Amino acid sequence: MKPFSAFASLPGRLLLGSAAALTLLACDPDNDPTPDSQPIVTNSVYIVNEGNFTRSNAEISLFSKASSSVTNKSLFSSANGRSLGDIAQSMAVRDSLGYIVVNNSNKLEVVSLARFKSKATIENLKLPRYFVAASSEKGYVTETVSYSTASGQVSVIDLKTNKVTRSIAVGKQPEKLAVVGSRLYVTNNGDNTVTVINTTTDVVEGTITVGDGPNSVVADRNGRVWVLSSGKIVYTTTGSTRVSKGSLSQIVPGQLTATTREMPSDQSSPGRLTINGSLDQLYYTYLGGVYTLNINEATLPTKPLIKRGSFYGLGVDPQDGTIYGGLASFTASDKVIRFKSTGAAIDSFTVLAGPNGFVFY
Amino acid sequence: MVLQTRFSSRLAARFPVLTGFGLLVGLLPRPAAAQAPTDTLRSQQLPTVRVAGLRPTRFAVGSRQLTLDSVALSNYRSGTLADALGARTAIYLKNYGPGQLSSISLRGTSARHTAVLWNGFNINLPSLGEADFALLPINGTTQVDIQPGPAGATYGNGAVGGTVRLSAAANSPADWGRGWHGTAQGDYGSFGLGAGLATAGFSNQKIALRTSFNYRRADNDFPYYTREGGGRVRRYQENAAFRQASFSQDATLRLGQHGELSAAAWLTDADRQIQPGIGTNNTRAQERDQSRRLMAAYRRVSTGAEWAVRAAWFEDVINYRDEVSGLSESTVRTSQAQAEHTWRLAPNASVRLGAEAQHFAAHVDGYGAAPRTENRYSGFLLLRYDPRPRLQLSLNLRQAVLPGRQPPLTPTAGAEWQVLAANRHALSLKANASRSYRAPTLNERYWRPGGNPDLLPEESMGYEGGLAHTFKTTRLTLQTELTGYRQLVDNWVQWTPGASYWSPRNLRQVRAQGLEAGSTLGWQPGAYRLTARGSYAFTSTEKTRGTATDTDPAGRQLPFVPRHTAAVSTDHGWRGWQLGTTLTYTGYRFTDASATAFLPGFLLLNASVGRTLAVAPAWQILVLAQGFNLTNNSYQNYENRALPGRNASLSLRLLWR
Repeated sequence: MKPFSAFASLPGRLLLGSAAALTLLACDPDNDPTPDSQPIVTNSVYIVNEGNFTRSNAEISLFSKASSSVTNKSLFSSANGRSLGDIAQSMAVRDSLGYIVVNNSNKLEVVSLARFKSKATIENLKLPRYFVAASSEKGYVTETVSYSTASGQVSVIDLKTNKVTRSIAVGKQPEKLAVVGSRLYVTNNGDNTVTVINTTTDVVEGTITVGDGPNSVVADRNGRVWVLSSGKIVYTTTGSTRVSKGSLSQIVPGQLTATTREMPSDQSSPGRLTINGSLDQLYYTYLGGVYTLNINEATLPTKPLIKRGSFYGLGVDPQDGTIYGGLASFTASDKVIRFKSTGAAIDSFTVLAGPNGFVFY
Repeated sequence: MVLQTRFSSRLAARFPVLTGFGLLVGLLPRPAAAQAPTDTLRSQQLPTVRVAGLRPTRFAVGSRQLTLDSVALSNYRSGTLADALGARTAIYLKNYGPGQLSSISLRGTSARHTAVLWNGFNINLPSLGEADFALLPINGTTQVDIQPGPAGATYGNGAVGGTVRLSAAANSPADWGRGWHGTAQGDYGSFGLGAGLATAGFSNQKIALRTSFNYRRADNDFPYYTREGGGRVRRYQENAAFRQASFSQDATLRLGQHGELSAAAWLTDADRQIQPGIGTNNTRAQERDQSRRLMAAYRRVSTGAEWAVRAAWFEDVINYRDEVSGLSESTVRTSQAQAEHTWRLAPNASVRLGAEAQHFAAHVDGYGAAPRTENRYSGFLLLRYDPRPRLQLSLNLRQAVLPGRQPPLTPTAGAEWQVLAANRHALSLKANASRSYRAPTLNERYWRPGGNPDLLPEESMGYEGGLAHTFKTTRLTLQTELTGYRQLVDNWVQWTPGASYWSPRNLRQVRAQGLEAGSTLGWQPGAYRLTARGSYAFTSTEKTRGTATDTDPAGRQLPFVPRHTAAVSTDHGWRGWQLGTTLTYTGYRFTDASATAFLPGFLLLNASVGRTLAVAPAWQILVLAQGFNLTNNSYQNYENRALPGRNASLSLRLLWR
C-alpha cells in the first residue's frame, strides 16, 4: 500500500548516529554485560491471536518448530475448556509460566507452559497491555486505565501470590516495558516519555524524554535501552498532518537522558521493536516492511530487510534469527509468514484473527 | 469444508420437518402480498368519488412484497420493529441483546444495503448508513411494507438488499370517517420490563388525525450461562438496561375533491446502556439516540394526473459515552425535498417523473470540529403499462448525483403475468431485474482517521423470478409464493486495518443468491378464525472476487449471514379469545470470513394468549399474556452477547371504538 523509496541520509541524522555510536564506546563499567555463552534453544512458538473486539475470541496458537506446523490453533480453550477472553494483547514467559495479558477482559491469565492449564487469573486490571517479570517473585503490567485520562499506570504483581501489590502512576497510555538491571523502563505512548522505575523500591526514578509516541522498548547485550517511537500525527478538519517523525532512542542505564535519531520518512510510523537472541540486532516494522540495524550502526537503515509486510505482529526467534510476521485482517483466519534472517521467505501458516505477537520457548 | 458438510446434513435432517410444517399450516403473505391489485379494489370501494393516488408499489411490478399491517403488528404495539420482524418473518436481524442494536440483513446483504423509508423519506442514519431496528417503536406506525431485493430506481439510495417502508398516514379508506378512537395499554414483564402507550385519533371525511405516545423500559438483568474454569456458570447480565420513548403525530387534511395536505412528526428517544460482551470489560457504556423527524406533503390527484411535493427535516443524535473512551457526540441534520408528477395516460398506463434532493449537515466528533455537509440528488422516471389485463409491466429509471464519483444510471424492469385464473386458483409469474446503488456513508467518507473520500458508490445488478399462487374459497384463502434471486454487488465496502488505523475500501464483489418460499393460510369456518404463515429463506452470499488488498477468501459464505432461516406463525381467534404462536429458526452463522468458526443455529418459540372483553358500548379491554423463548434456549444471535432465556409479559389494553 505504501510506496517504497530509498532515503538519502541527511547530515543531521549522521551526526545523531555518530553521537549514538560514541555513547556506545563510553560504556559504564558497572553495567558491563556478563557474556552469555549458553546457546538459546527454542522448540515452540506461541502465537498471540488478538481476536475481535468484544467477541471474546482471543486465543493462543502453538507452532512446533520441529514439524513446522501449527499443532494447536486454539491452545488455551482446548486446554481449559473455556475462552481465553477478549483481546489478547500480549504474552510473556517467566520460568515455566506464561503470562497472557487479556486487555478487554481486564485480566492476566497465568498458565503453565507444560500443558497450558490456567494457574491463576489476576483480575480487575484496568485495560492491561504488556507484562514483564523482573524476577520469579515480581512482575509488572502496564495499564491504559482510560483513553481520556492523562496518566496510565503500572501495577506490581507478586508472582508467588498472583496479586497486585501496588500501582504506580506513569504517563499516558503506557505500552511495552523492559527490565534492565534494577530498573524498569515504561514507554508512555500517549506522551513522549519513558518512565524509569526502581525495581527494588518500586519508586519512579525519573522520566526520560524521547520521541513522540514511544511504543516499544528492548535492551541490548551492552545493557543499553532502545526505545522506538511512532511520531505524532494530528487530525485536522481537512485530514491529518504529521507533527513529528518516528524515532529510535537509546538510553544509558542510570542516565535520565536519551539520544534520539529520527526516521528518514514521515510517511509511516515505526513500531514493534524487537531484538535477536544475541541482543545485537534490532528489528522493527516501518513503511510496510521490516527494517533491521545492528546496535553499533551509525545510521538508521533506509532499505527494508523484508519488503512485504505491514505486519501486525513481529517476532525474531532467539535461537536462529528466523523472523515471524503476523498479517492481520481480523475478518478471516489470519496468516503468519516466516523469513530467514536474510529476509528470504520460508513458509507461511494459518492462525486465528489478529496475530500480534510471538513467544519463543 | 468439513464443517459445512457436517452442518448441511444436520440441517437437512432438521429442515424437512420445518418446511413440512410450514407448508402444511401454510402461510399467507397477509393481504400483504396482494399488493397492486388491492389498490384498484380499494379505490373502487371508495364511497366518495375521490380518486386515490398511485402508491409507489404500483411501479414495483414483479417484486415480492411483505406487509405487516396493524393486525399483524397488534401484539407488538409496545415493542419495536426488531421484535415484530424477528418473530413474524424469516428475515435475519443481527441482534446484540434485548433492546440493543438490531441490524437487518435482507437477502444476505448488510444493514447498509436496506433502505428504510418513513412516509417516502429515507431515515437510515446518514452517519452509519443504516437503521437500528431496535430504535423504531411500532406504535407510531400503522403499516410496515418490506420489499426484498434491489429497487434503486424506485426507492433510491441503499435499496440494494431491499426496502422497508413505514407509514402511519391515512392511506386506506378505512382511515377516514372513523370519528374518535383511542387505545391505552400497560405492559409488565420479566427483567424489569415496563411499557405504556396511548393512542388517540379522529377522522371524518375531511380530516384524519392520529397521536401516539409510548414508553418502554427494562433492566435486562437476566441470567445467562457461560463456560468458565469450573464448568457452566450462571451469571447475570450487567449494563443492559434501557428506556425509550416515542411520540408521533400524523395529520391529513383533504382540500376539496383533489387536494390533500399532510404532515407528520415522529420523535424517538432512547437511553440505552450498551450490553458488554460475555467476559469483556464492562466500561459502563451508554448511548443516547434521539431522532426528530418532521415532514409535510401536498398532493393533488385528479383523473388524468397527480402531483405531489414533500419536504422533510430530520435530526439524528447519537451520544455515546463509556469509562474508557469518554464522550463521543454526533448530530446529523438532514433536509430532504421531493417532487413528482404522474400522468395517467390511460387506465392501463401511467408515468411518474420526479426528483429529490438531500442535504446533510453533520456535527460528529469523529469528523473533527468543523461541520461536514454533503448534498445528494436524484431524478427518476417510473413507467407502468399493462398491455393485457393479465400482464403488467413496469420500467423505472433513476440517476443519482453524488459528491465525488457518480453511480451509473439505475434502471429497474418488472413484469407480472397472471397465467391462470380459473375457479378457485390463480397463478402468476413474476420477474424483475434491477440495478441499484449505495452512496458511501458520512462515516465512510469523513471519519478521522480512516475516512475515505474517494470511495466509489457500491453498485449492484440483481434479478429475481417467482410464482405466486392463490387458492380461494368462501372460507379459505391460501396464498403461496416462491421466489429465486441472484444479485452481484460491486465495490462492496469494508473497513480494513491499515498500518496504523482502519479505513473503508471498495474491496470486492459479492454475490447473493437464494430462494424464498412463503405461504399464508386464512381459514374461517365459523366463529373460529385461523391465520397461519410459514416462510423459509435459503441465502447464499459469498465473495466472488476482490482487490489485491482483500485477504478474505472467495467462495465462502459471508460471516453473520445464516444460510437457512424459517418462521412459522399461527393466529387463532374464537369469539373474544386469541391465541398466537411464532416459531423461528435461524441457521448457523459463520463468524469469520474463512468460514471456520460459527455460531450454532437456534429455534425460538413464542406464544401469546389473550381475551377481549366488551366492557361498555364502544369500550373493550384486551388482556394479553405473552411468553418468549418458551423452550428456554441458551443461545447467541451475535457472537458473545447473552440473550435471555424463557421470559414473559402481561399487557392490559383498553380500546375505545
